[in-house]
Amino acid sequence: MTAFLEAVGEGLGTGSVYALLALGFVIIYKAMQVISFAQPAFMLAGIVLVSYLAESVNFWAAVPIAVAAVALLALAVERVAIRPMVGKAVFVIAIITLGVDVVVRVVAGAFIGVDPRSVGDPWGQEVVNVAGIDMAQRNVAALIAMVVVGGLLFAFFRFTPIGLAMRASALDQEAAMAQGVNVGTVFATSWALAGGLAAVAGVFAATGGPIDQNIWIVALAALPVIILGGLDSLGGAVLAGLLIGVVQAVVATYQRDWVPSLETNAGPIVPYLVMMLVLLVRPYGLFGTKEVERV
Amino acid sequence: MTTPTDEKTTSFSGHQLEETTRRPRRIWGRPGLVTAYAQDMAFFDTRAKLVAVCALVAIAALMPLQLEDDILKLLATGFVLAIGAIGLNLVTGYAGQVSLGHAFFVGVGAVTAAVLNGDPDGRRLGYGITFLPAWMLGAGLVAAVCGAIVAPLATRLRGLYLAIVTLGLVFIGQYIFAEWREGTGGRGVGRDAAVPTLGDVDLTVNGAYTEEQKLYWLMLVILVIFAVLARNLVRSKVGRAFAAVRDRDIAAGVMGVQLGRYKLLAFTISSFYAGVCGSLLYAADGHFSPDEFNLGMSVLFIAMILIGGAGTISGSIMGAMLLALLPRIASELPGFFPFISDRSTEHPNIFEVETALYGVLIIAFLLFEPRGLYGIWHRIRTYWKSFPFSY
Amino acid sequence: MKRTATRLGVALAVASLLMTGCGRDDDNGSGAAPGVTDEPCPEAVDKEKGCIYLGVLSDFTGVFKGVGVPFSEGQKAFWKKVNEDGGIGDYEVDVTKYAKDSAYDPDKHAQLFGEIQDDILAVAQSLGTAHTNAILGDAEKEDIVIAPASLASSWQLVDNVLEVGSNYCGDAMNSVDYAVDELGAKGVAVAHFPGDYGDDAAVGAKVAAEARGIDFTDVPSEPGAADKQASVVAGILKADPDVVLVATGPIEMASIVGGLAQKGFTGKIIGSIPTWNIALLGEKKLVPALQALYLQATSFQTWEADTPGYEAMRAAAGETPPSDWYALGYGSGYVMQAVIEKAIEDDDLTREGMLNAAKSLDGVESEGMLPEGAANYAGDPNDAVIRETAFNAVDPTTASGVKQEVAPFVGPTAKDHDFSESACYEQY
Repeated sequence: MTAFLEAVGEGLGTGSVYALLALGFVIIYKAMQVISFAQPAFMLAGIVLVSYLAESVNFWAAVPIAVAAVALLALAVERVAIRPMVGKAVFVIAIITLGVDVVVRVVAGAFIGVDPRSVGDPWGQEVVNVAGIDMAQRNVAALIAMVVVGGLLFAFFRFTPIGLAMRASALDQEAAMAQGVNVGTVFATSWALAGGLAAVAGVFAATGGPIDQNIWIVALAALPVIILGGLDSLGGAVLAGLLIGVVQAVVATYQRDWVPSLETNAGPIVPYLVMMLVLLVRPYGLFGTKEVERV
Repeated sequence: MTTPTDEKTTSFSGHQLEETTRRPRRIWGRPGLVTAYAQDMAFFDTRAKLVAVCALVAIAALMPLQLEDDILKLLATGFVLAIGAIGLNLVTGYAGQVSLGHAFFVGVGAVTAAVLNGDPDGRRLGYGITFLPAWMLGAGLVAAVCGAIVAPLATRLRGLYLAIVTLGLVFIGQYIFAEWREGTGGRGVGRDAAVPTLGDVDLTVNGAYTEEQKLYWLMLVILVIFAVLARNLVRSKVGRAFAAVRDRDIAAGVMGVQLGRYKLLAFTISSFYAGVCGSLLYAADGHFSPDEFNLGMSVLFIAMILIGGAGTISGSIMGAMLLALLPRIASELPGFFPFISDRSTEHPNIFEVETALYGVLIIAFLLFEPRGLYGIWHRIRTYWKSFPFSY
Repeated sequence: MKRTATRLGVALAVASLLMTGCGRDDDNGSGAAPGVTDEPCPEAVDKEKGCIYLGVLSDFTGVFKGVGVPFSEGQKAFWKKVNEDGGIGDYEVDVTKYAKDSAYDPDKHAQLFGEIQDDILAVAQSLGTAHTNAILGDAEKEDIVIAPASLASSWQLVDNVLEVGSNYCGDAMNSVDYAVDELGAKGVAVAHFPGDYGDDAAVGAKVAAEARGIDFTDVPSEPGAADKQASVVAGILKADPDVVLVATGPIEMASIVGGLAQKGFTGKIIGSIPTWNIALLGEKKLVPALQALYLQATSFQTWEADTPGYEAMRAAAGETPPSDWYALGYGSGYVMQAVIEKAIEDDDLTREGMLNAAKSLDGVESEGMLPEGAANYAGDPNDAVIRETAFNAVDPTTASGVKQEVAPFVGPTAKDHDFSESACYEQY
């Protein structure tokens, strides 16, 4: 039982990272009905920035600076590469974001260099004992960060004018425009938010040890998460993120007992298997809105 | 080469179009004037095209006598990639089903070919079939079966949902490849690829002609065959159905195009091409490991058809050739820009520049020339067609 | 105007594509063997001498860059010294021009080998076991001799490959024997990379564990830091072994040692030779655990060894940071030098000549750089294989961070094992 609960604890940590990433995807999707494949690159950019900043200022100052910088980067990318394409097929825009991903990732990756880097987080491999269960401090921190960021986002959408504008334009873009909502600002804000979220997620994905250029692959697990939660559901993204994180950790822990013949860790494919199972039953995810097809 | 103009054209909705029963006339000096549907859909609708294509193939066939081996190897790889790109273009460019799972089918082809061709007494599973068409088509068929199995799932989904699900296919496929060590060699190890032999001649050993020359010719011939087949497919009833599904699947369904059937067909044929591509892709290097068939490879194929031109066969080939030559172009850069290093331990280096260039190409083409290289060619052609009255 | 410019650009791009590499050069210049020229080397000491080009397929950016970079530096230093001392016969040797980075990816390795294949006489370094296997088929077809930066148990079975030192499999057998005899171990677990290198050690440990009648647990690992190793640590703890063998990279080993130490593991953790890297001393929190638990199994001496070869190497290294991989790269040069010398002596400096020279080599004077009995390729594979293993412990006061803790020995399992049948990893 302890092993199970420890796996759940670890899964909640990874799941929080997934949830943060998934929130970014969903925010962009709600704004412009596009899945942005550039999120992994923004995540990597955030990690690299923190790893450099943490050397000069401390970790706690480095994170907000990096998050702001990546948000600005995302803003610039939206302005240069995405805005001209608004109105074109969503698939085309999605592929442009793939191109952005490749470019940003190779530039950020170049700064990682040959020797392993670290984000200089204060947690390392330390554990904290929660009710008899050993839980890595970094996982607790990720969970707390996710709850705080999620809360802030909720407040942002609920209480600020631009948050209201974003909700309105997600509901019906044309109606929102008619009411005086500046859709361009909505697009820009959604990209900046998504970039910042990716950076935060990156920091927590990178804690606990040295990192290399391949860490961006973590962000791909957010894709099945958003499909599972429903592309346009923020709450769904959080729940699905945590769910997938926990299932993944539990599978990694018990795989050797359940199916001893499998040598490779099945953790990385669990999100996709869960996603496919759910899609067979609910084609729009657990909390997604069914798309109405107008003929 | 026979012009299939006089071949009996199957009509779209069951009615025989009147024009096709009559032999279409060509009016001298008016190459653009088309008087019959069959003429419009002809393999070579103008004489100039026929001549140009024949000349291009002839030049391509003579290249190995002129070019260095290292370029020939890149070109040969480009030809093989072009087969895969044509396959992806059939399902994505023609039938409109976005697939990020192409790498999986390429992998199935590579593994199947290696297993069929492998040494029966070797370290890995092998059946010792040396007859090239046998293992090549075998690889295509197994991949096609996989495509047919996946297709029903795919037909339930659309757009980006489909893209992500096919992406999942890549991850699950990689897992299966990694686990099946007997067939694939496993992660980080891999196995020897299928060795192309013709009769008793091992094409991967230098003889009267070098390895690269022989592989180049082989790949060129195979590409021409598969390109002609694909071109014929897309101007048939099936091709028109694909286009209808792509443009508006509901409207196509209302008009009597069986959506499920054509989506299934698109996935199956596309996977067949991918399998053939996979079976030949590693002939030059002689080795592959299952780590190859990842998301990056799927994106590479998507980039090929977008850079080349979605919904065109010639575009697929152009895109594949450009991306195959990209490493070479990048490796020439340090000569022009001294700050670019050719050592992977320094930054920026040619490998990073190559990857960045690849990303920039994707973005730039979609922003400025969404029809890809084909579109650029089209514009040049139109410019000269209306010369000197072009604007 | 803009369009014309675009079109011009496209036309230029197409033209330049066609022009690059025009003009085929079918004859091999001087008519000598591939990789041997009468022209001087790019960085020649004596411009009168010809040049022998050796290929290097190493890892400068992947999991084992900590091995590949110093290993290659060591090789460069060795050949620089040879060239300065007058070269070999009428030739100097170059290991720089055809040095490629495969990033520990077997496919890239095979691809890069294809690129340099026609321009080299032999391969001075092929890093990785599966990686060397990936090019072995092509190399055998063209009689290319390969010096591997890999110590798999298959190389003594292959004529083309010039192995030095004991193999992972034998080291693992000795580690288990040591654990049983000296530490009284009742159970052993192996954490290893998937693939030929990790499997080699795993099979060695399994064979020894079965022979000695102790429990054996196999825990596959994969490249990656703490995150990826968490389930490995959990798997080891569940089996509750007294001794853990590790055949991974240094980061993986450090994560496993750190994880086990945290859970209060007090047995020994014995790593294969590639698990140590001096850079790990930078992980300050980990050093006490490494000092207490970790041993490196190897048949080579460490940086400060008192032999003429090591002394010359330290002099040649100068300011280069000490690393046992540098020493190994430097030491491996003795074998290739002996083969080239023999080929020149036989007046057959071709690939076939190199292969014949290698086959007839029954040892090499390495001035104490290589283990006793290394480079015996003429003898029976089972007799020629090196079975000795020594253990190094972490000691931050030494130059390369490790110091010999247990002198070289041969355990009963390795002594009786027949290495001439097949490679250990093939039995996985």
